Amino acid sequence: MNRPFHGRTRTAAAVVAAVALGVLAGCSSSSSTSSTSASTSAPASSAASSPAASSSSASAGTVSTSACGTKPGVAATGTPINIGAINTKQPGTDFSDIENMAGAYFACVNANGGINGHPIKFFPETEQTNPSQIAALAKQLVTTDHVVGMMGNSSIIECSVDAAYWKSVGIDVLGAGIDPECYSTPNTASVNMGPRYSSDGAVQYVLAQGANKIAFDQSNVPGTTYIAAGPNAVAKAKGVSIQDYTENVPITSANAIATKLVTAAGPSGAVVLNFTPPEALLILQAAQKLNLEDRVKYWACSTPCNTDFLATSLGPKWNGKLFVNAELTPLDGNTSPTAQLFDAILKQYGSDVSGGVGSFSEMGFTIAEIGTHALESITGPYTIAAVSAALEKVSDYNTGMLCQGYTYGSYSEHIPNNMDYTVTPDNGKFVEASTGGGCTLISASDPQIAAYRAIAGTAPMAG
Amino acid sequence: MPSWAEFQPYIVTGLALGGLYALSGVGLVVLYRATGVLNLAFGAVGAMGAFIAYSMVQAGDPGWVAWITCIVFGGVVTLGYGMLFGPALAGRGPLVQSISTLGLALVIFGVIDLAWPTTGGQSPSISFPTDNGGFTVVGLQVSWTQVIALALGVAITVGTGVFLRFSKLGTAMRAMANDREITATLGVPIRRVEAAAWLGCGLLAGIAGIMLADLSALDDTTLTFTVVISSLAAALIGQLRSIPVTFAAAIVIGLVHDLITPITQISNYQDMTPFVLAAIALLVMSRGQVMTRSREEG
Repeated sequence: MNRPFHGRTRTAAAVVAAVALGVLAGCSSSSSTSSTSASTSAPASSAASSPAASSSSASAGTVSTSACGTKPGVAATGTPINIGAINTKQPGTDFSDIENMAGAYFACVNANGGINGHPIKFFPETEQTNPSQIAALAKQLVTTDHVVGMMGNSSIIECSVDAAYWKSVGIDVLGAGIDPECYSTPNTASVNMGPRYSSDGAVQYVLAQGANKIAFDQSNVPGTTYIAAGPNAVAKAKGVSIQDYTENVPITSANAIATKLVTAAGPSGAVVLNFTPPEALLILQAAQKLNLEDRVKYWACSTPCNTDFLATSLGPKWNGKLFVNAELTPLDGNTSPTAQLFDAILKQYGSDVSGGVGSFSEMGFTIAEIGTHALESITGPYTIAAVSAALEKVSDYNTGMLCQGYTYGSYSEHIPNNMDYTVTPDNGKFVEASTGGGCTLISASDPQIAAYRAIAGTAPMAG
Repeated sequence: MPSWAEFQPYIVTGLALGGLYALSGVGLVVLYRATGVLNLAFGAVGAMGAFIAYSMVQAGDPGWVAWITCIVFGGVVTLGYGMLFGPALAGRGPLVQSISTLGLALVIFGVIDLAWPTTGGQSPSISFPTDNGGFTVVGLQVSWTQVIALALGVAITVGTGVFLRFSKLGTAMRAMANDREITATLGVPIRRVEAAAWLGCGLLAGIAGIMLADLSALDDTTLTFTVVISSLAAALIGQLRSIPVTFAAAIVIGLVHDLITPITQISNYQDMTPFVLAAIALLVMSRGQVMTRSREEG
């Protein structure tokens, strides 16, 4: 007789259920790990994008793509200059728009004279946060593809995995950094500020506006102590108390988190978030649903929140209430020649840039722009040593995308982007905050910033 | 340790979450009782329904049409799976039956990742008109969505209990839970009864998916796994049989999970709540069984 639901069978089912709990938890936590990684990364570099916003930057379109090369319309035919890049690309974490936009820029350069007649042959690679895979990719690029430079790296762990290797082969990397080694090693410099300094900027802004208490929250991932040290130093230098929190991601209880943060910050305080856009949006939307947005004086975010979709999703209630650190020039309504060139390249060569206009593509553009500038300065053969030397000579270069002139230099550590904008939502877009939103130096109360300025000085504002 | 006042806001959020876990747990128990299958795809089906609803809203469809579509999607997919694989799995053990639904969950999980990729950092979300309305109780802000979540949990629990006890179909389900073959020999159309159980479970998956997408997050990982983990723990505490105990366990899991939030020393471990509570309950229950057996043997 078949008695499927009684006695021993029920016990077996209970055992299966208990095992299933564990299995599902495993699936859940492994997924969390990838999302966790996403959170690590995005604070550093993301501020993704508004795919529909490609016309929002340089709608005038008076600058054509011919501006990206020295011989407009003449395709480069010389021996190629091999350049590589490694980006994280995995479910939930995709930075490949950075290398895709860099590739679009290089394609534009190649179509307009190349580097003194030499085309750039670009080798964009993707990885899935597997250290052995990342190490193998680096070696493959150098030994098989014979790259002479790395321009466009953006990975959750690549800097920490490959820093020693790049040093050993003499390659100077130009990328968009995430992990601490992207800022603290001699052979890597980034165009962005990364999660720590971007969070510094967000905290610094709300302190300047008068917040008397800070609740700083970020995803619970390796490196959070390192990141939190910056905002803590900035707040403590102003005599303002700051409470650190970390959350497991993906966030499953945004309402409770929003409530906790608002309670901690108090009515005259500020909540500062360092999450990927989706996770930050969850907390902000939860606050909105619970009518908590006005229970604190300010809300702030590190760079990832600087994406138009977030502004659109939040709605007008957050105009002038949420302030986001922006590491690169806001492109909405920007008609500068650089913004127009960005727009033209994106339209003509950027079919792979799935996120359209956004910080990822801006970073890729800026990396390629600086890289091209460095390559053009080389007069002899294009070797690893020549490319690294050219990069190290880049000094106070006006990218049109950063507050400061960009300097690579021969330093033991690199934080070349340490001056930020602050933006706020304005009916579906992010615009420069009307009060104190312009270029502002990240506070040297952060000991890492102070140490960098001690060796590299303080770069002046661009232009 | 936070003060009582600091804990109070989390009672509201915890009750709302608990209500949805209860709803899900009841769905799992009902299906298990009728078919012997632990539906581990419950969360994934709801998640995909919620993503479809999100896309419909983005395309300009009215919200209510999208929400109903989510619920119907849950019902249709679960029913389809039950009809297609249920008969073949009916004679297999609980391990095979459950793992097969885990397969469905992973397939749906993959489809969601393909169809709604996160490239570019965009974040889908679901909002109800009830999110921005609500009331205040002893200083606590309560949204209508939270009220609806808890009310749904209560209503589904009571309704299911009444249905199982007093309706013909419910009686047939209970009979099948006791003995499938005898029930069949008595002339009960077991395929039809099983279909009803699969359909009901799927509809509840759709309801849980759309509600949790609003209250928690429209995230495939969260909806696929977190919901199932919490509701499965509640169902386990209810010994895969008792609907009232499942409901109570789900409410406790939701409450404890959120009440841990302000305790910073352990708040990062709050996702362990369902495991810990299920483990404690199983230990206590097994201890009771051991004592009973000892008395019988003595």
